[in-house]
Amino acid sequence: MNLAVPGSLRTPWMIVKRLAAVPLVMLALATMVFIAMRMLPGSPATSLAVGGGAASQSTAEEIAENEARINEALGLNESLADQYTTFLHDVATLDLGRSFYGGNDITKLLGEALPATIELTIAAMLIAVLIGMVTGVVAALRKDTWIDTTTRAIGTVSFSLPWFALGVLSIVIFGVWLRWLPVIGRIPNALDYHPFTNFVLLDAILQDRPELIWPWIKHLILPATTLALSMAGFITRIVRASVLEVLSDDFVRTARMKGLSGGAILRRHVLRNSSLPIVTVLGLQFGSLLGGSVITETVFSYPGVGNLLINGIMQRDYPIVQGAALAIALLFTLVNVVVDLLYLALDPRLRKA
Amino acid sequence: MEIRDLRVEFDVPAGRLPAVAGIDLDLRRGELLALVGESGSGKSALSMSLVGLNRGPTAHISGEVRFGGRNLVAASEKELRGVRGRDISVVFQDALAALNPTQKVGDQVAEMIRTHRKVGRRDAWKRAEELLGEVGIANPVQAARAYPHQLSGGMRQRVMIAIGLANDPAVLIADEPTTALDVTIQAQVLKLLKRLQAEHGTTIVLITHDLGVVAEVADRVAVMYAGRVIEQGTRDEVLFHPQHPYTMALLHSVPRVDGPHTDRLPAIAGSPLTGVTRPSGCAFAPRCAFASAGCGDHMPELLRRYGGSGHLDRCLLDEPARGRARAGSDSQAVAP
Repeated sequence: MNLAVPGSLRTPWMIVKRLAAVPLVMLALATMVFIAMRMLPGSPATSLAVGGGAASQSTAEEIAENEARINEALGLNESLADQYTTFLHDVATLDLGRSFYGGNDITKLLGEALPATIELTIAAMLIAVLIGMVTGVVAALRKDTWIDTTTRAIGTVSFSLPWFALGVLSIVIFGVWLRWLPVIGRIPNALDYHPFTNFVLLDAILQDRPELIWPWIKHLILPATTLALSMAGFITRIVRASVLEVLSDDFVRTARMKGLSGGAILRRHVLRNSSLPIVTVLGLQFGSLLGGSVITETVFSYPGVGNLLINGIMQRDYPIVQGAALAIALLFTLVNVVVDLLYLALDPRLRKA
Repeated sequence: MEIRDLRVEFDVPAGRLPAVAGIDLDLRRGELLALVGESGSGKSALSMSLVGLNRGPTAHISGEVRFGGRNLVAASEKELRGVRGRDISVVFQDALAALNPTQKVGDQVAEMIRTHRKVGRRDAWKRAEELLGEVGIANPVQAARAYPHQLSGGMRQRVMIAIGLANDPAVLIADEPTTALDVTIQAQVLKLLKRLQAEHGTTIVLITHDLGVVAEVADRVAVMYAGRVIEQGTRDEVLFHPQHPYTMALLHSVPRVDGPHTDRLPAIAGSPLTGVTRPSGCAFAPRCAFASAGCGDHMPELLRRYGGSGHLDRCLLDEPARGRARAGSDSQAVAP
């Protein structure tokens, strides 16, 4: 008997190894953001000193004086090395500091924005997978017919549409002309939403407020679909290629030999085996989805991390940019850990490594 | 099962490739028929078309496969689904590729059972374990829970056979089941097939290019060349009294342990027909050392000529010429 150790026994160890890499990735990323922000022209002090309402009347001397005071107050007069160690220390103790503007606690800001972004990206991912899988499988099964050609053409178009164009277009069509859906924000103020976890669905359940769910979904539809379409077009192509490849595999012939119907072959043999490349794509594309969410959130005034990030960059609000970038990176890393775990769940051959 | 004028043609860029060019063959209940030929001779195309596994937009299948009172060539896909896996099943050659990499072996056997019988999940799994034991897997309970990649090549081939046998089919088509295995495992798998034939009364069609395998297990042999059966008969008739020069040449090309040692193995000169167009006469004539002018006219019928009652061939040579050919192919110099 030549049986290998069942893979499931080794799987937890792989998870530990993958998670152990997360802090290293975060450190590298924190460092890069730290440097990048300080390489940008303009400083928060200038921005603050000039940006005040009275700035136009101030003399150059007064501005310089203000800048010095602000630099002192924000700790920006210290050497870069000192700033860096302070920053790392803060990150390590999960203290992301306060915004240079208004002094809001950044951990708290992210606590509100990150769930919104997670909702948006997950909704987009679900829509993209649903559309992409269905169209991809149909295109593969109807290979070289007009259905296949049309599906692929639409996929390519949606794959090449930029997010902002799609966003603005959908706002004009569904929000302004048809007035079907709201186009701004995440949940109407009138609903008197008191966030607890900041995940609306979770809060609606915890606080027993089902009336929150439908307005929340209505606000999510346009931005999530905008974000999803390009990914869906991409997934269509991957799914089609992958299903076609699996269909020509020997074990599909075995399934036919067993007397299984076409539907059963698709469900039990083709889909699972063709989902590996799809999962890979999901992990990789999640990065660009996060990038797209920055744009989409801006277009739809959606209160997520992307919105926070853009405002932070505009105002040279270092702590906000650093915090938002770290949050996005953490999300991306975690999603890719999940993707790796999905691999293991889907393909037993990978479990032995 | 009776096969009548079966033709399988595939659309290829150059035209239509006749993989099977009109085959008449009877399968007798409980026998082990070996289908022998070089690669490209049409033996796989023939066997796949018996259950419509090579149906597709580029395949043209005609003729008759009479089985259980109907013609499987004309049967609908739905009808065929009821036959596949239940009455006729196939053991494929590369078991690693033919098994689903993401399913436990036990599930793949159980699926075969549950496709054709109303059996609960747990009972089907139990039966799968039994079947794995029956095909000689030492630890069937453990093996059922393994994935294909965790098993050895021989065990995977046994799993394939267990799947093939799951519903006790009347006919089992084994498509080169031992090609990927080393010699000792090969012998075990052949022995297993022979045992199952005896115990279950299963009719087995064994596709092979290995005459050693044929000598070991076959009851009857059909030799294929260029999409046709050119000789058929009992194992002893075909192996010891070959009638067709191609069979003789094939037998001659088997290296013998007690034979003379040469630098080159004996081979049949020329190469088999693979093109879209076929000559009007005997397909083997261009490579045949004994061909005469008449061989180019038309393909000889598959008839009993000089052999035993069931020993048929497609060759125009008369008996003395066959005797000379038989003697000649033994002493013949190694072909270039």
